[in-house]
Amino acid sequence: MGGAPVRVVLISSHSGHYTGGVKEFEIEARTLLDVIRVLDRRYPGLGEHLEEETSVAIDGEIHEVAYFHPVHPGSEIYFIPKIEGG
Amino acid sequence: MDTKVIKPEAEGRGDRTLKIVGTSPVRPDGVPKVTGLARYGADYALPGMLWGAILRSPHAHARIRSIDSSKASALPGVKAVITSADFPEQKYEFVGPERVAINFWHMTRNVMAREKVLYEGHALAAVAATSKIIAEAALRLIEVDYEVLPHVIDVDEAMQPGAPLLFEDMITRGIDPPPNEASNIAKRIEFSIGDLDAGFAAADEIVEMNFKTAPVHQGYIEPHACLARFDNKGQGEIWAASQGHFVVRAFTARLLDMNIGDVLVHPAEIGGGFGGKTVIYVEPLAAALSRKSGHPVKIMMSREDVFKATGPTSGASMTVRIGVKRDGKLVAADGVFKFQAGAFPGSPVMNATMCGFAPYNIPNVRSVGYDVVCNRPKSAAYRAPGSPISAYAVESVMDAVAAKIGMDPLQFRLVNACRTGTPTVWGPKHAHDGCAETLKALLAHPAYAAPLGRNQGRGVASGFWFNNGGESSATVHVNEDGTVVVATGSMDIGGSRASMAIMAAETLGIEYEDVRAIVADTASIGYTHVTGGSRVTYATGIAVVEACRKVITELCARAAMIWSVEKDQVSWEDGSARRAGAGKHEPLSLKAIAAKRALTGGPIGAEASVNAGGAAPGFASELCDVEVDTETGSVKILRFVVAQDVGRAIHRSYVEGQMEGGAVQGIGWALNEAYVYDDAGHLLNAGFLDYRIPVASDLPMIETVLVEVPNPNHPFGAKGAGEVNIVPVMAAVANAINNAIGRRMTELPMSPPKVLAAIHTAPGK
Repeated sequence: MGGAPVRVVLISSHSGHYTGGVKEFEIEARTLLDVIRVLDRRYPGLGEHLEEETSVAIDGEIHEVAYFHPVHPGSEIYFIPKIEGG
Repeated sequence: MDTKVIKPEAEGRGDRTLKIVGTSPVRPDGVPKVTGLARYGADYALPGMLWGAILRSPHAHARIRSIDSSKASALPGVKAVITSADFPEQKYEFVGPERVAINFWHMTRNVMAREKVLYEGHALAAVAATSKIIAEAALRLIEVDYEVLPHVIDVDEAMQPGAPLLFEDMITRGIDPPPNEASNIAKRIEFSIGDLDAGFAAADEIVEMNFKTAPVHQGYIEPHACLARFDNKGQGEIWAASQGHFVVRAFTARLLDMNIGDVLVHPAEIGGGFGGKTVIYVEPLAAALSRKSGHPVKIMMSREDVFKATGPTSGASMTVRIGVKRDGKLVAADGVFKFQAGAFPGSPVMNATMCGFAPYNIPNVRSVGYDVVCNRPKSAAYRAPGSPISAYAVESVMDAVAAKIGMDPLQFRLVNACRTGTPTVWGPKHAHDGCAETLKALLAHPAYAAPLGRNQGRGVASGFWFNNGGESSATVHVNEDGTVVVATGSMDIGGSRASMAIMAAETLGIEYEDVRAIVADTASIGYTHVTGGSRVTYATGIAVVEACRKVITELCARAAMIWSVEKDQVSWEDGSARRAGAGKHEPLSLKAIAAKRALTGGPIGAEASVNAGGAAPGFASELCDVEVDTETGSVKILRFVVAQDVGRAIHRSYVEGQMEGGAVQGIGWALNEAYVYDDAGHLLNAGFLDYRIPVASDLPMIETVLVEVPNPNHPFGAKGAGEVNIVPVMAAVANAINNAIGRRMTELPMSPPKVLAAIHTAPGK
């Protein structure tokens, strides 16, 4: 991959079903797509869960999950439940 | 209106060159609304149109043994009767994100009851006839055989073992391993950081309190209404007011087993929604009746229908415990939030657990939520869904903690205010400031030092709301005369047409009056998510600015062609193309280029679609002065100040209006509003005479302080402004009452009988 490791944390309560309860990872990635692909390779089905059922906070900034988001060396990436508004 | 604007040192991009952003030009929807020209869902009609009417359950909970509609069908003038049998069964599965996970098995049953009715007012059949009178007469001919069942409404009672079960096989989600027994608890959620036990062990003082809130309705003035028609190819059209016509299209298509592309939804003007119009009720029924009858069908809810069958927000039962050091630093917080979901899972309890402690830097926090079904209408989103409820509990306890350690309540909050880098209970660190700035604004406000009289009190509270981004689409077209049309897919519920026109005019460098902003139908613009979550000025605004930038690129290219120069020699400034570094050519205005459009390539326009992230959250800190009539328990609001971080106000008076509106809705929630049921689960106050929302004569002028900490992720620094203003209100009012009479009010609404009872109870009891 060539990128620096990013720290990935799964907050979504359903994510644990895919990972056997493991919630934190260090991944070499440049984009969120890299992150999702690596996790899905390790835990088949987790990628689709993250794409469909979570939002993501990259260094605190909350985004909808989208492949194009860049991640940077040392970034903290939290997959969190989506938020609904009024 | 008394408005202040506070701009912290951190200025946003290009602030000093802004000409229109931050002003209050004439609202495009103002004159049509006050002169009756605006067309709401109920204003649409078509030739051959039928009237739809809905049969609703008289019982809070009953099994439907049978429905016989033969007599209704035989009534002259009746063209169609539908029941749940006219809708395909849906698979039982939760799809989409956890909080907003949609289970169409639930949705189709909420729209039209199947095996059971789950609340008074639950729809179970509908009729289309040539007149309203005939349709309503037909409803009386439908024979329903009910097996009436025990019901439960209170959230604590609904969680008890042995409570009447709405779904006999529902196992609580979010507990590992899952429980063996069915219950009304649809889901349990928990967030935590740090070591809660160690945190409380380190505390010098701990305060724990219990709270209850009543379900309250969004109280929009316009009842739900729609017109639907099908053509002979099976394609449908719907005219309806909603907070998201793309969602109306998707949900209706799903419930009718249609392709999304075969449903076209026209956005009608909307008369308020506040979250309650992000879901569907009458649209699939009108569409099904139209499909069955071959005629257009119109359905209008009555106010009673709205109260009995559309989503209020949850009532709740909560326990909050907070630990603090004597120097005022928070060390631990624990909250348990139990929310009524209504008849189907999906209360906003997750938001409540995430937002309640979010304004503060607390190293050890646990926040637990329960989503509990009960026999009242399914809850729907209401302005910062969930956050005002948990804030009422948290901010009341914060007030009690401040008093216990002898600290000023605003200073106490400021000492603990979150800042960029503060951890949240859901994991990530805050990425934006704003909380402390609102507290400082309130501390500096003259209201905070103003003297109080006898039986008067002052309360403060703060609140957090995420603000959303997400998917939005916009088109910008240059007309032949150089005026501009901006079309978006966002329903205008809080002034978005004005703010989109402002952002387009500012970006293009033209006059606001030369831009017309419209809301396009679902076939004329790209997908756009609902107008909710305070997302439109942010996300749709980004789409509009991107489309304008594309138009500017094209305008520069056209100018280059006219001047016979390379494109890179042309720049755009103050609404005109200019040739860089040379005085050979007079600038070409947008109007001048538009006049040459045909010669240079044809019409000029662009579309932009975005999935906007990086929406900064909103913070608000608020002050309330009250006077309590100790003989009647009546509470009068003397003064109310809203200090809110809005990032950058795009249309200033619309933003002020949002802040005032949030405060007023919260005051109603605090003092008056509640669903009142009899022992049989019948709603007793399904009308505005008995369900009392505040009116102008109940209120002082709401004072607004626009705190502007720009969001660098938005072209003009905007943050969502529509929701966080309601979050602190109930707590601010409760804290003011406590300050006036020395009684902590722990149950909403704080109506005169409850306040009087509190006055007659010894303090601390």
